[in-house]
Amino acid sequence: MARMKFLCDADRCIECNACVTACKNEHEVPWGINRRRVVTINDGKPGERSVSMACMHCTDAPCQAVCPVDCFLTTADGVVLHSKDLCIGCGYCFYACPFGAPQYPKTGNFGSRGKMDKCTYCAGGPEADNSPEEYAKYGANRLAQGKLPICAEMCSTKALLAGDSEMIATIYKERVLKRGYGSGAWGWKVAYRETIAV
Amino acid sequence: MTDRNSNWRNLALALLGLALITVAQPMQAQTVTPTASAAKEEQLLSTMKQIDGRISIPDQKASVLMQPAGQEWRKVHNTTMFWVGAVSILGMMLALTLFYTIRGRIMIDSGPSDRTILRFNGFERFVHWLTASCFIVLALSGLNVSFGKYLLLPLLGADSFSALSQLAKYAHNFLAFPFIIGLVFMFLVWVKDNIPEGGDLDWLKAGGGLMGKGHHPPAKKFNAGQKIIFWVVIGGGTVLSVTGLMLLFPFTGTVIADMQLGQTVHGILSGLIIAVMMAHIYIGSVGMEGAIDAMNTGEVDLNWAREHHSLWVEEVEAQEREADHKAKSVAAE
Amino acid sequence: MLIKRKSGEATRTRLQAMANGLSSGVLDRRSFLTQSGLALGGVAAIGSIQLGAVRQAQAGPVNRAAPVEIRKNICTHCSVGCSVTAEVQNGVWIGQEPSWDSPINRGTHCAKGASVRELVHGDRRIKYPMKLVNGEWQRLSWETAISEISGKMTEIRDKSGADSVFMLGSAKMSNEGAYLFRKFGAFWGTNSIDHQARICHSTTVAGVANTWGYGAQTNSYNDIRNAKTIIIMGGNPAEAHPVSLQHVLSGKEINRANLFVIDPRFTRTAAHATEFVRIRPGTDIPIIWGMLHHIFANGWEDKDFIAKRVYGMDEVRKEVAKWTPEEVERVTGVPGEQLKRVAQTFATQKPSTLIWCMGATQKTVGTANVRAYCTLLLATGNVGSQGTGANIFRGHCNVQGATDMGLDVTNLPLYYGLVEGAWKHWSRVWEVEYDYLQSRFDEVPAKGGRPARTRKQNMETSGIPSTRWFDAATLPSEDVDQRDNVKAMFIMGHGGNTVTRMPEMSKGIERLELLVVCDPHPTTFAIHGERKNGTYLLPICTQFETSGSRTASNRSIQWGEKVVEPIFESKDDFEVIYRFAQKLGFADKMFKNIKVENNHPVPEDILREINRGGWSTGYTGQSPERLKTHMANQKDFDLVTLRAKDGPAKGDYYGLPWPCWGTPEVKHPGTHILYNTNLNVRDGGGAFRPRFGVEYQGKTLLAEGSYSLGSELTDGYPEFTFGIFKRLGWDADLTESELATINKIGGNNVDAVSWAIDLSGGIQRVCLKHGVSPFGNGKARAIAWNLPDPVPVHREPIYSPRPDLVAKYPTRPDGRELRMPNRGGSVQKAAVDTGVAKKFPIVLTSGRLVEYEGGGEETRSNKWLAELQQDMFVEINTNDAAERGIREGQWVWVKGPESDSKAKVKALVTDRVGRGVAFMPFHFGGWFQGVDQRAKYPKGTDPIVLGEAVNGVTTYGYDPVTGMQETKVTLCQIEAA
Repeated sequence: MARMKFLCDADRCIECNACVTACKNEHEVPWGINRRRVVTINDGKPGERSVSMACMHCTDAPCQAVCPVDCFLTTADGVVLHSKDLCIGCGYCFYACPFGAPQYPKTGNFGSRGKMDKCTYCAGGPEADNSPEEYAKYGANRLAQGKLPICAEMCSTKALLAGDSEMIATIYKERVLKRGYGSGAWGWKVAYRETIAV
Repeated sequence: MTDRNSNWRNLALALLGLALITVAQPMQAQTVTPTASAAKEEQLLSTMKQIDGRISIPDQKASVLMQPAGQEWRKVHNTTMFWVGAVSILGMMLALTLFYTIRGRIMIDSGPSDRTILRFNGFERFVHWLTASCFIVLALSGLNVSFGKYLLLPLLGADSFSALSQLAKYAHNFLAFPFIIGLVFMFLVWVKDNIPEGGDLDWLKAGGGLMGKGHHPPAKKFNAGQKIIFWVVIGGGTVLSVTGLMLLFPFTGTVIADMQLGQTVHGILSGLIIAVMMAHIYIGSVGMEGAIDAMNTGEVDLNWAREHHSLWVEEVEAQEREADHKAKSVAAE
Repeated sequence: MLIKRKSGEATRTRLQAMANGLSSGVLDRRSFLTQSGLALGGVAAIGSIQLGAVRQAQAGPVNRAAPVEIRKNICTHCSVGCSVTAEVQNGVWIGQEPSWDSPINRGTHCAKGASVRELVHGDRRIKYPMKLVNGEWQRLSWETAISEISGKMTEIRDKSGADSVFMLGSAKMSNEGAYLFRKFGAFWGTNSIDHQARICHSTTVAGVANTWGYGAQTNSYNDIRNAKTIIIMGGNPAEAHPVSLQHVLSGKEINRANLFVIDPRFTRTAAHATEFVRIRPGTDIPIIWGMLHHIFANGWEDKDFIAKRVYGMDEVRKEVAKWTPEEVERVTGVPGEQLKRVAQTFATQKPSTLIWCMGATQKTVGTANVRAYCTLLLATGNVGSQGTGANIFRGHCNVQGATDMGLDVTNLPLYYGLVEGAWKHWSRVWEVEYDYLQSRFDEVPAKGGRPARTRKQNMETSGIPSTRWFDAATLPSEDVDQRDNVKAMFIMGHGGNTVTRMPEMSKGIERLELLVVCDPHPTTFAIHGERKNGTYLLPICTQFETSGSRTASNRSIQWGEKVVEPIFESKDDFEVIYRFAQKLGFADKMFKNIKVENNHPVPEDILREINRGGWSTGYTGQSPERLKTHMANQKDFDLVTLRAKDGPAKGDYYGLPWPCWGTPEVKHPGTHILYNTNLNVRDGGGAFRPRFGVEYQGKTLLAEGSYSLGSELTDGYPEFTFGIFKRLGWDADLTESELATINKIGGNNVDAVSWAIDLSGGIQRVCLKHGVSPFGNGKARAIAWNLPDPVPVHREPIYSPRPDLVAKYPTRPDGRELRMPNRGGSVQKAAVDTGVAKKFPIVLTSGRLVEYEGGGEETRSNKWLAELQQDMFVEINTNDAAERGIREGQWVWVKGPESDSKAKVKALVTDRVGRGVAFMPFHFGGWFQGVDQRAKYPKGTDPIVLGEAVNGVTTYGYDPVTGMQETKVTLCQIEAA
């Protein structure tokens, strides 16, 4: 069984934000919710690198561990999904998430944050695959259609890789060997407790 | 490298820049090799607690790329907080059960009298019950967040549990405010009677007279035990209120690390306070004959009062005598 | 614990899944749009989410019972030419899938390309024709609008002449639309018909064409994969052409190529360079000459290449000798050692390519910059082979095509110029009397000391460039070299905030009697200045709602098919142009050979007419059928060579990049790399084009000992005419019908019929047979004697931060070009005399953001993009900000040195810009001099994001060759607001 992961090759990422708008367009994600975002480190200085970040679908996911209503599930592919029917919007997953993935329709307001929203790895939610209910709550379910997440598929420089862990690690390793540099598999150590040694 | 830190750093850099500028050189050339000097994740993680950068969307908290501290928070939340809460609450239950088994209900030694004395007026009782009822709902809904998924979820099933938890969350969020108001009043009404005094030590040395029959160390309106409860409620309640507000208004003057710390304090402290309050509730209800009346009608049995708050009764009686005396002398005139 | 029923091994296609049907009821597009909740504007939507809300998916649920069709079109946002694969159901564009087969984008997109679907769902589009009546927008029918506008145009024509109507076309038109609009201009009788190329690469086209023949990128994005050394100078493709970086970075990785970025700004592109060189804005020529100084001094030049294929390099040596490393450092700020390293690498680690964009072109020395760049490539032998070349990244999706189609004040379609022969060529193609066309032009009276012009002379006189239209409206009539001032603007798809000096533009726009804006969105034109009457807004659909071909930067032509019908009441360019031609009374003549169905000219037929006339540029082989075959078989094309390895297009280069010689039947594969002597002309080979005669000052302009592979002529040769054919005996190879056509064209001077006007294509066919290039085999010119500076010389910007250098390197003295005065010399002198550089000490430059395009109305109305850039900003250096007490994110005033101009923007404090340099993006509009003008837009059409246009503070300065504006270097002051 494949273990699905994301890998952002920061030496390729140019902060074009295609991943961001592709995601928004595919899932009709409203303003203010950013399932994926691109952060630029050392902006304007030598050493500047941009990294596209979303839910990393962690091994032993912290969000799942801290959720008071147990609304998360990890699929056989290692994709971390959640049920919006069960979510109570407590915000714990946001505290626990090392990657700032969980998003809430209302942020910073008193009362409810609303149901948590996050990257689904384009795998929908617990509803029936590609049902209107699933789309309304979670967006498209590409995985069920045999496709990979749209952000990675549309990445302008093929910096963002998605797919089976071993395959994308191999691609990254080959790239680093070929070009002779690599700033690391961003987030892997924290998310998967492993990194790609080259 | 939090937002604030980077602001400070920018300012520092800017000041440094100012200091260095002597000649207005439109730019200075330097050899810059971006690929070779690229930021590396490992390096960044080893030198700072979180990695953040620039982002164009207005949601500035999204500029934090990685905060491994989330994993530490999770550890504290799922182990330390869990166990502190569980042990203190279960421990207290056990202790109270043991106490009840051994000591049984503490009766009024001299038996109930046919006279009562006003211990708490209507406003005091209102303040007490306002705070207390809020506290109970807050405690239960809080406990649900920490322990519900182990205790209730298997019983209720996911949907009902989630619905319940959702309600509980709303209750927790909204009752926080009356609770805070109650705290403030409680402080104002009772602080004068809760200033620690020398006598409190004697009371404590005597174990409050709880362990044996017939022996009741003297106490004023509040004995040392009650004073401890008062200060736990005021002190702990304040901390819970502050941390709770931090969580209610995320990213309002706080960063993620503040909220994580706030949640940890809130969670652990609640567990401890709940345990203390269980003792309070026990002794105020089943644990002691006559105690409940103080917060029920406000009128307590005189004998009960003499046994547990002898100095206060004397004080009240002295006042009454004085008042009587005054009244009589006025009438005589 | 929840149980997830499935895992990723599912292989059902989306089509099947949808066909299985999960809901019923058919949705038409209108109700879909209503249901989708698009009535909620993006900004408004933020606040409207309810307590405990679930994220609201705004479209969907999609009716999965209905079949889904796949339609392929091309992204409308930049010149890379990414394919867009659209999923359409019931006429609604419901999804976008990666276009894996395209050899250009291979499935990928940038932020804009990944959100193009939103353009045709855009609730902020102009929905119906409108006009401004006493300051209020009123709805009109198309019929009324066209008839009112035509009436007014005719009235202005009668009163002030045809030239008083200024026509502005678009780089976002298809080739067919652009061609039709240029033709419309010709039938109306004006050469003042321009488009965005004026303000992006007009100087490139002029500079490059004057060097080696054609004004276009010589190689391709894909070919950069072959380069060993890459210089990107004056460009930020990571934001402007993100998908091109896929090829650049692949090349960098696979070849371990050197990637130098030479720029005033540490851009997102620079972040991926192996070395970054920061220069002072406006010092490109000293940098290039400085590099050549090292190259010549060390003998790193390609002597063989220069001897065989370059004219006049010795003249360059003289100029270069002045640029010692010390002088270069004094002027540019770049140390000699660093430049030496760059120069040596570029000259010796070959193949090397030079990539440039607006940083080179948008300057008063734009054409000279480009020529210096070309000279560097020539000196190092880096033109005309794999991995080399001038990889000019053009801007809009069809700016190359629209330029080719002659939306240019100096050209007829396909670079035929405006000379009599050109007009006669096109009148033959159009089958319209030359005299009729001539009769449409104005007679110009003598004024301002200039002689009068006849209709014929006026027909052959270049028009007014788009950078000067408002000057042409406001200057005294005497200063404008035509019958009268500009009185009307007819604008199809061009923003108003993209041209410099907007405070002056306000005056111009207020003087117009008629302003027609045909666009999907109300551009800045619609709201700028204090107009109360006489502005019309006509809703034009996007290219996704029509079909047609567009030419990517690499000259590949791609056919886009209509994805959905035009939304609301919008119409495509073809229909609007046709209906105006009809109302103005020349539709029958203009559309004589173009099929019109239901008032709608058929784009395929327009392309066939282009094919019939586009000999000079090799736009003849790209029939609609061939282009459609390419789109349908994209998977057959090789990623690096762009050549089809298999399938029905086998042997062709992708998109038949021009020149694609001969008729479609000749099956020329197109030309992937221009001037490539390593290939037979039949396989896309070629040589430099001798456009300027065969010799100059006694030296040959023909190649010496260099020729393309398999050429029967093994030395230089001039362009082919029937006369030369006869001398070579090749006339015998022509068929009878070809001969008949040539004789008909030639009349009594048959010998003069050339490869460019032979409508039979016989000359080109026979050239291919003999392996020779129809346009000849010449030398590239390092010295262009017909230009103001034959060898480029450094000239300080009009507003120079270094007044001390102006004396030695002044701009050109005042003069007149393109019907307008150019007062650059006196403006520069006044700036120095009044000490402008002291009051405005910061150099201001401008550029693109990845999220937006051009004037930005379209992209700022796209909610997915608008969310990512919500405020106009100025990048200010950390030190400059600290000196001024400016904090990140606060409001600041950017003040310009002309017209008391100012712009209120947010500060972005960063080291991207060097000390003393500020940067502003140019996509914002809708605020002017600190005032929000949202209320002036027609209700519901205001873009989500508004902001100050950088051109509110930009200044005077025009390239003497093309009228290019100087946006990349001026001065400003920044203060906390």
